[in-house]
Amino acid sequence: MKGSILAMNKKSIVYGTFMVLVTVVMLSACRDKRSTGLEYARNMYDPIAYNQDQPNKNFANGATAQTPPANTDPIGFVRYEYANTKEGYEASAALVNPLPLTEKNLLEGKHFFTVFCAPCHGDKGDGQGHIVKLDKGISGVPAYHGADAVSSRGGAMATMPAGKIYHTIMYGLNAMGSHASQLTPTERWKVVMYVQQLQKIK
Amino acid sequence: MRNISLIFKKVWKSAFVFASLSFLIVTVTQAQDVVEGRTLFKDKCASCHALDHDITGPALTAKVNELDEAFLIPWIKNNVALIASGNKQAIEASKFSPSEMKTFPTLTDDQIKSIIAYAKVGEPKKVAEAGAAVKDEGTSSLSIVGIIAIIILSIIVLVVLGRAVKMLERLILQKQGIAIVEEEGVSLATGVRRLFKNKKFVAFFVLCLIIVLGSFGWMGMWETGVHTGYQPVQPIKFSHELHAGINQIDCQYCHSGAFKSKNSTIPSLNVCMNCHKNVQARTEDGQISPEIQKIYNALGYDADKQTYDKAKEKPIEWVRVHNLPDFAYFNHSQHVVVGEAAIRKEKGIDPKDPVCFACHGPVNTMEEIYQYSPLTMKWCINCHKDADISGKKNDAFYANIIAAHEKIKKGEKITPAMLGGLECGKCHY
Repeated sequence: MKGSILAMNKKSIVYGTFMVLVTVVMLSACRDKRSTGLEYARNMYDPIAYNQDQPNKNFANGATAQTPPANTDPIGFVRYEYANTKEGYEASAALVNPLPLTEKNLLEGKHFFTVFCAPCHGDKGDGQGHIVKLDKGISGVPAYHGADAVSSRGGAMATMPAGKIYHTIMYGLNAMGSHASQLTPTERWKVVMYVQQLQKIK
Repeated sequence: MRNISLIFKKVWKSAFVFASLSFLIVTVTQAQDVVEGRTLFKDKCASCHALDHDITGPALTAKVNELDEAFLIPWIKNNVALIASGNKQAIEASKFSPSEMKTFPTLTDDQIKSIIAYAKVGEPKKVAEAGAAVKDEGTSSLSIVGIIAIIILSIIVLVVLGRAVKMLERLILQKQGIAIVEEEGVSLATGVRRLFKNKKFVAFFVLCLIIVLGSFGWMGMWETGVHTGYQPVQPIKFSHELHAGINQIDCQYCHSGAFKSKNSTIPSLNVCMNCHKNVQARTEDGQISPEIQKIYNALGYDADKQTYDKAKEKPIEWVRVHNLPDFAYFNHSQHVVVGEAAIRKEKGIDPKDPVCFACHGPVNTMEEIYQYSPLTMKWCINCHKDADISGKKNDAFYANIIAAHEKIKKGEKITPAMLGGLECGKCHY
């Protein structure tokens, strides 16, 4: 009698240990990825001031990031006087690149070009970027060089002046959107400098 | 008679062969036209025209069905000349948009006809791909079912083995001539009660309880406030795998702030629209992808009229994944610009990959974004202890420090300003 109970106990001990181990392993493995888990003093994580991408009940549109009030410029803002019209585009040809043509500027221009322009315009400015090759809805991207590369606003692409290239980055054209929010004015001029090198490709 | 029927048969046969051949040739040439037209369309027209909806220019399928070739060919070649010549149809067509259409003097009549043929036929349907996608989903749910089946099977096997062991024990006892006490009449409750009277069992049970609760407590303490693997549901099913992986768009295209400022900015919707004004991932029946439609809704953008309505704007509330506690200061630009080389070396980042992967993990494979690194203090400190930032002697920052040290050695006057004490960020962050 005693022997049989002991035998049963041994078994239940082994079985019990096994079950306990399994539950521990399973419970520790299944952490809910949708939740941040246990948190202590969450208020120390959250900013006291508003982060720019946070909701904000103090403004009518509920966003912290606000556009500047009308007729004001943020400090350090560089105004661009040419309008997003055909006339503005033609007039912008008068602008010249304020940056000197140096290797450093060109290298930085190349970096910005690779990040912001090359996905569509291609690394060599031939209009055959990776996105165009994927054929997902963006195509017909103009090349910067070649005899038949003509701007849709007239004139050969290869001889487009710096000011007009800057105007295009600033406002975009046709399928291309404005890249002014991603590139500062100096960065835009560096891109223009690099694009003008690509125009020379024969 | 027989001859006549033979001749008739021959004629009929050759006529049939001729007819089928010519039919084949016609379809082949037509198909070729469409293929050539598609290439030309993608190259010349697609920057302003789509087939089924208006973009900069009008939807082309409707236009080529409405207008005849006699007008379309001179219009496509040189619309400016046609308008100047006073053609009424041309003047009417020019009113579509204030932006002028480009001229294509180099296109031949045949090429234009090919484009028109393509515009009439439209995009070939992609049936095979849709089938493959369905198959893919099948395997993932299958594997889950498989795992559950394996678990259930193993439980059954355990139970059966347990029964078998019991049976064998009874057989052994029987052979040894020991009487078997039947316990089948004992209920579960009394069985458990009897178990808890056993001191050894109680001790073991308490021990187990302590181990379980203790390990849970220990793990809980370590994981408190650590969000590794956190993957909240975002308002738009944005896939980094698709955008950064397959489409190979650089991180900086959208998060351009990471290289310039403390924050790696979440892109505003105009950045999405740089591509998604055109990329609409329309379904076969012409519906815009529902996820892309969410961008349009947030902007109050009408894809058919291509107009924005300020009154309908509603910002998208993305759920923050990486949340460094507010008492810790972290600057993205400091790490990805100044510290790039050191971080790449320390974390062994492939030169082809962006430096961002060092902390954010293989983002280009993340269908849904999740937190890769723990962002704990230990994690920061460990990297700061090991990363090698030597070889930066020519850097302005280090040149400053070396100059200051020289002054200290000589016993000259040193001010906080010389040690970067005038940097705004020293006090204001």
